[in-house]
Amino acid sequence: MEERKEVISLTEIVKNYKIGAEVIVKALRSVSLTIYKNEYVALMGPSGSGKSTLMNILGCLDTPTSGEYILNGQIVSKMSDDNLAQVRNKEIGFVFQTFNLLPRSTALDNVALPLVYAGFSKSKRIQRATEVLKSVNLEDRIMHKPNELSGGQRQRVALARALVNNPSIILADEPTGNLDSKISIEIMGLFEEIHKAGNTIIIVTHEENIAKYAHRIIRLMDGEIASDEVNPDITKYEKNIAEVVNEQ
Amino acid sequence: MAGREDKYAKRRLKTSYLSTIVGVTLVLYMLGLLGLIVLHAKKLSDYVKENIGFTVFLNDDVKDVDVIQLQKSLDARQYVKSTEYITKEKAAATYIKESGEDFVTFLGYNPLPSSLEVRFGADFANSDSLKILETELLKNKSVKEVSYQKSLVSAVNENLRKISLIILGFSCLLLIIAIALINNTIRLSVYSKRFLIRTMQLIGATENFIRRPFILKGFVQGIIGAMVAIILLVFTLYFAQKEVPELRELQDAALFIKLFVFVTLMGVIISWASTYLAVRKYLRIKTDYLYYH
Ligand SMILES: Nc1ncnc2c1ncn2[C@@H]1O[C@H](COP(=O)(O)OP(=O)(O)OP(=O)(O)O)[C@@H](O)[C@H]1O
Ligand SMILES: [Mg+2]
Repeated sequence: MEERKEVISLTEIVKNYKIGAEVIVKALRSVSLTIYKNEYVALMGPSGSGKSTLMNILGCLDTPTSGEYILNGQIVSKMSDDNLAQVRNKEIGFVFQTFNLLPRSTALDNVALPLVYAGFSKSKRIQRATEVLKSVNLEDRIMHKPNELSGGQRQRVALARALVNNPSIILADEPTGNLDSKISIEIMGLFEEIHKAGNTIIIVTHEENIAKYAHRIIRLMDGEIASDEVNPDITKYEKNIAEVVNEQ
Repeated sequence: MAGREDKYAKRRLKTSYLSTIVGVTLVLYMLGLLGLIVLHAKKLSDYVKENIGFTVFLNDDVKDVDVIQLQKSLDARQYVKSTEYITKEKAAATYIKESGEDFVTFLGYNPLPSSLEVRFGADFANSDSLKILETELLKNKSVKEVSYQKSLVSAVNENLRKISLIILGFSCLLLIIAIALINNTIRLSVYSKRFLIRTMQLIGATENFIRRPFILKGFVQGIIGAMVAIILLVFTLYFAQKEVPELRELQDAALFIKLFVFVTLMGVIISWASTYLAVRKYLRIKTDYLYYH
């Protein structure tokens, strides 16, 4: 077996939230975790178990109270805010439950925005954004604004935006939370393709059938990893969509 | 529902922007008023000084020639604007006219001395230089006494100082209010844009980049506040001059322009600085926190 490249390495990550002067919430107690290139991981656990907290740290939106986080060879747990912004721009693609699109900008502009911060020229931006929008099958909606798109289409725009910078990891927090089951499956189909193309994906969900798409399932409980297993029964998009269509 | 809440937030934000501009305007108006008063005060105290001057009382046995000699030597000095010789008789006549008492007939003689009224140019008329001239004059044989109204000069200065302090106090108070208003506006505006800010953070915009539009808005607020304040100041000046036409003699266009430039600069500095600080503060609070509160 060829040597696998480490993308994420967490060592004894602790995150405490202070509420007022006295109360401390231990959102993450001691999380150690390694994720390799081209892994497809689902993060599960009951409400309040620390999934979003872990996502925020993985996504460089927040820094841990203690512990070390190495992302693609860089120690990010001690970086300044501006450096973290840069890492978010280059290394991470986010997809969230709410689509987080700019409401007054077209799909194309939304997808191209990370390239603005990365300093690409306008023609490069348009070319790259169009290419990615094509890859999520939205080439006929390029000039539409978010309110002119369906929920599934909006999430595909968000997905395209997450992919546009060729990030090291795609982080998705409940990406299908706002979508009905058929649309959810379509989005999961897109994640499957993205994974096949060589991307590393971490997806937070509390729906078992969504988690079944991932190849590895990590369960959190009270801020600690309760289990970390290979998924023995990976759901395939082709099969799943056929089932849903048959049911109707 | 989110839409309605957003609309409400937007309306609050608009009111908030407006009250911020009003606050900034008031601070600048007060500062400008202070400036106008200080500018006029200098002119006014010059005016007072030029018009008070000195009374030199002369000995009873002085000869007219000596008086005229002294008057000439005073007139020859650069800082003396004018001199006037008031004889015993003239002094008595003025006094009788003013008091209505014919004390000369009553007493049988005229107790009033003859005197020289001396007026100075403004730049000479501070208390110290008056003292030096006083000692010099007292050495003259014809001079009995030198009298000048020290108190009027210092009274004018003292009153102006008090008024300036009061206005300065007011300005400080208004400044605090304005900073609080700006803070509140920024908080609301960060809140109403929290999704947008979150999105920008997600895709890697630096804090500087996110801050920029807010700070630009603060800058514009400062400029608008300054413009309105200047218009108000011009109106104030206009009405003050209408009520007290003498003020027109004190006016100095070049100084006014300098003052207005100062007011504009202050406006920009105040709103820029407090916007910068407020944005920094509210962006540090994770937008997560704003979502749920
Ligand atoms: N900003 C915060 N301040 C204080 N406590 C927080 C904060 N964010 C999260 N917590 C606490 O940390 C714990 C973990 O929260 P987290 O949001 O990570 O849970 P979660 O697993 O994402 O839950 P859910 O499935 O409901 O989204 C919770 O007990 C929560 O109350
Ligand atoms: Mg969560």
